[in-house]
Amino acid sequence: MSHKGIYSKLITLFSLLLTILFVYTAVSKLMHLDTFQLRVERMPYIASYATVISWAVPFLELVIAGLLWFTRYRILALYASLVLLGSFTIYILIVLKYSESIPCSCGGVISALGWRDHILLNIFFMVLALLGILWSKKQYNIQTNQNTVQ
Amino acid sequence: MKSNFLKLVLPAFAILLAVGLAFATEESNLPYVGYIATQSGYAEIQTDCPNLGEGYCYEGLDQVFNDSGLTDPKRTWD
Repeated sequence: MSHKGIYSKLITLFSLLLTILFVYTAVSKLMHLDTFQLRVERMPYIASYATVISWAVPFLELVIAGLLWFTRYRILALYASLVLLGSFTIYILIVLKYSESIPCSCGGVISALGWRDHILLNIFFMVLALLGILWSKKQYNIQTNQNTVQ
Repeated sequence: MKSNFLKLVLPAFAILLAVGLAFATEESNLPYVGYIATQSGYAEIQTDCPNLGEGYCYEGLDQVFNDSGLTDPKRTWD
């Protein structure tokens, strides 16, 4: 199997895993939106934006999960995944380092994880998104070069 | 043909799996019941502490307990 084929399959696998993560967390939040909003209201620094965040985050997650399956928007969706996961990870790190009030949990079955495990899970998915971006760009460059040669 | 099939089936599979998982784990997404000390005894509250881990659970400044007798501290991650 050529490297191009392997990369293409891995990008599809990463998109699949990111879709499962985003749809799972979005549906978990939307099923109990009031609970999610209450949780955000108790979080330090972002409490005043609770209403906007509680709607925007699941909406963004669903949009990203959808865009991952359109070849044309895949790189954009992978960047968006990286930014969303990165923002959340940085927020957790700041809260754990500087705030006295540490929010208790993160919703869904992920709440069974400790903060350290949650950060590791986020980093794992951020690595998938980053590799997806790099390999998608590589594939795009190969295809562009082939088209130029032809 | 195979590529088009996978392009439709894979995202549909991922979405169905994720939605199914969300419903299957719905209960773990709900807040837990806990008890805090008040001047008149105790008050029942909703908390996110999963009663796992080594740290003690607090809601604001109040320590949260598993029982209304306030003898069994609720746990959370440090």
